[in-house]
Amino acid sequence: MKLIDIIKSANSNLLRNKGRTFLTILAIFIGSFTIIATSGIRTGVNNYIDTQMESAGGEGYIEIMPKALQEIMQSMMSFGSSAPTEYNPETNSTEMTVISEEDLEKIRQIPGIQSVKGARNIEAEYITSAKTDKKYLISPQALPSDRITIDIAEGRMIDIGGSAPEIILQPGYAEVLGYQSDADIVGETIELAVTEQATMQVQLVEVKVVGVLNKSIINMGRSWVNVAAETEILDVLYAHMPESYRNMVMFATAEWDSSLGDEGLEKIKDDLDALGFTGMTFEDQVGMIKSFFDAIILVFTIFGGIALLAASIGIINTLFMAVQERTREIGLMKAMGLGRGKIFLMFSVEAVALGFWGSAIGVGVAYLAKLIINPVAADTFLKDLPGFNLMEFDISMILILVAVVMAIAFLAGTLPARRAAKKDPIEALRYE
Amino acid sequence: MSRLFSKKVLLLLTTCYILVYIMLLNKSILSIKNLTKTYGKKSSAFAALKGVSLDINKGESIAIIGKSGSGKSTLMHILALLDKPTSGSVEIDGVDSNQLSNKELNRLRNRRFGFVFQQFFMNANDTVLNNVILPLKIGGVAIRERKKRAMEALKAVELDDKAKNKAIDLSGGQKQRVCIARALVNNPKVIFADEPTGNLDSATGAAIEDLLFNLNKEKGITLIVVTHDAELAERCQRQLHIKDGQIIAPNADILKKGARV
Ligand SMILES: Nc1ncnc2c1ncn2[C@@H]1O[C@H](COP(=O)(O)OP(=O)(O)OP(=O)(O)O)[C@@H](O)[C@H]1O
Ligand SMILES: [Mg+2]
Repeated sequence: MKLIDIIKSANSNLLRNKGRTFLTILAIFIGSFTIIATSGIRTGVNNYIDTQMESAGGEGYIEIMPKALQEIMQSMMSFGSSAPTEYNPETNSTEMTVISEEDLEKIRQIPGIQSVKGARNIEAEYITSAKTDKKYLISPQALPSDRITIDIAEGRMIDIGGSAPEIILQPGYAEVLGYQSDADIVGETIELAVTEQATMQVQLVEVKVVGVLNKSIINMGRSWVNVAAETEILDVLYAHMPESYRNMVMFATAEWDSSLGDEGLEKIKDDLDALGFTGMTFEDQVGMIKSFFDAIILVFTIFGGIALLAASIGIINTLFMAVQERTREIGLMKAMGLGRGKIFLMFSVEAVALGFWGSAIGVGVAYLAKLIINPVAADTFLKDLPGFNLMEFDISMILILVAVVMAIAFLAGTLPARRAAKKDPIEALRYE
Repeated sequence: MSRLFSKKVLLLLTTCYILVYIMLLNKSILSIKNLTKTYGKKSSAFAALKGVSLDINKGESIAIIGKSGSGKSTLMHILALLDKPTSGSVEIDGVDSNQLSNKELNRLRNRRFGFVFQQFFMNANDTVLNNVILPLKIGGVAIRERKKRAMEALKAVELDDKAKNKAIDLSGGQKQRVCIARALVNNPKVIFADEPTGNLDSATGAAIEDLLFNLNKEKGITLIVVTHDAELAERCQRQLHIKDGQIIAPNADILKKGARV
């Protein structure tokens, strides 16, 4: 029997019991669809993050925080499920969770580090302008290095070391502050309200808008100010308070010599570690975001995998029934000279065909879902993130899934196929 | 008598007999010797065949008759190389079947044997044509060729107008004719028929018999029929009575047969 005939008869045999075949394919479809759709979302998210990385981010800088602080953050994330930890002044004192002037100096001495700037904790109560009475929340932050590329939609980059206070705003402020458009607000002066921590009095700080950012998830809603603006805000924030408050730093940003390459970077990270700090590049941070998404995706993929496992039991069941029903036919074909191998192949091909149709339909429906969901998502919860396609498929991923599902189906089919191949033609013909 | 046959004539006749005997030996398509078949083991062992020897000649028609459970089907299955004997040998065209690999056995059955069963054994939901095509498909014949040959076979049983019908929609007699078409589609040397008329009324049965004997006569296909039907058995050139796994009243008198040829 030729292979093409085996494939054809396997397919027509599947059509003999349409209901049963349909249900088996449905089970495979559910598993395949779940995996394809979630991996499509994963690709969508990763692609978006990657394009964001091209416009934001940048190379040659490391964000530094004390290890003790990182541990506190991690223990907060474990929702108190860990047992109480004994106090250790070496690692747990408050002193260890901040970066002191001396620490900054030590970091500066690490070979490969070119400069370090501590991130002072600056806060603004609200933002307003001369054109409106309304007040809006804002979270300004000093841009620690001009190596950080930021995705500017309108205007220009702030002059970090410039003498005039400058700010690059998150998108959306222009309209609410009484301007026509982003282009309109660039060059205008707005007011940041800052509260004196000691007296709770609110003071207005005037800052010039030099640019407006593009929308992005990586930016985390921050508006960037230069050193001059930072200094004015700090002056208000910590007025009447000891100098040490104002100089308290929890995070720092260091510029490093990126010509040292990955090895040099590892060395710098090790040196930071020895000093009690952790250093993260932009890529590390993006990696964290990605691995967070990946964890969610993994859960769904496992669901899909479990569904596929259940579906393969369905394949085994379906084919055992088919072998039972077709006992006489198998006997007849064997009597007519069809070999064991070919009979095994016939039922295996049937299993593989079930796998193929289940996963192919899964791919097809996932593609339809993409066509429907992407525009809907872009209009609703992803409205603020232009260029974010929720689902994207890459062809190799699809081919791999279909191949894997077919392989699983083949494995599931070997049990019934073996039974069919082993049937004794005489007994099979006698079978009532 | 002794006066009638002079020594010369006697010598001549003996030579003739020996010659014919040798010719017939060469002509035997299937030959079995001391065949036994035992089912089960030890205490539950049951001997279905107890030493059967037999030669079947090319173009012969043979009826295997006997009571139910006597071992007719068992013998036929072994002759058709569907089953292996417990002891003894089966030779096909002078080749010991034990020497053949599974693949060769399959090929041999596919090319040289045709089967007709009492219960038809068709794929009920498939078309008549596809049912007839099946042996050719198994043999790996090209699509065009196999369609042509299947239509010829259907024509031979006068069912070419039903080619596109579903097998399930045919009458019993028609079904058996389709089975004959299927048995004949690969131009076999031997057709094995296990109770081919068992499920048919006598008129329809007679038509099926005519068909089988025509093939036997016109195409020289060897016919091996297992039957309960005395009339069908009578139409065969030779009758093999089986009782309790042995051939009784062996009228397999080759010399007598040879004389008739
Ligand atoms: N697989 C088997 N296991 C055990 N015994 C068997 C088996 N096949 C056949 N037999 C026994 O061998 C004997 C011969 O069986 P066989 O089928 O050859 O009879 P038969 O002459 O064809 O009968 P019928 O006319 O009813 O078809 C029977 O007694 C049967 O019970
Ligand atoms: Mg029988």
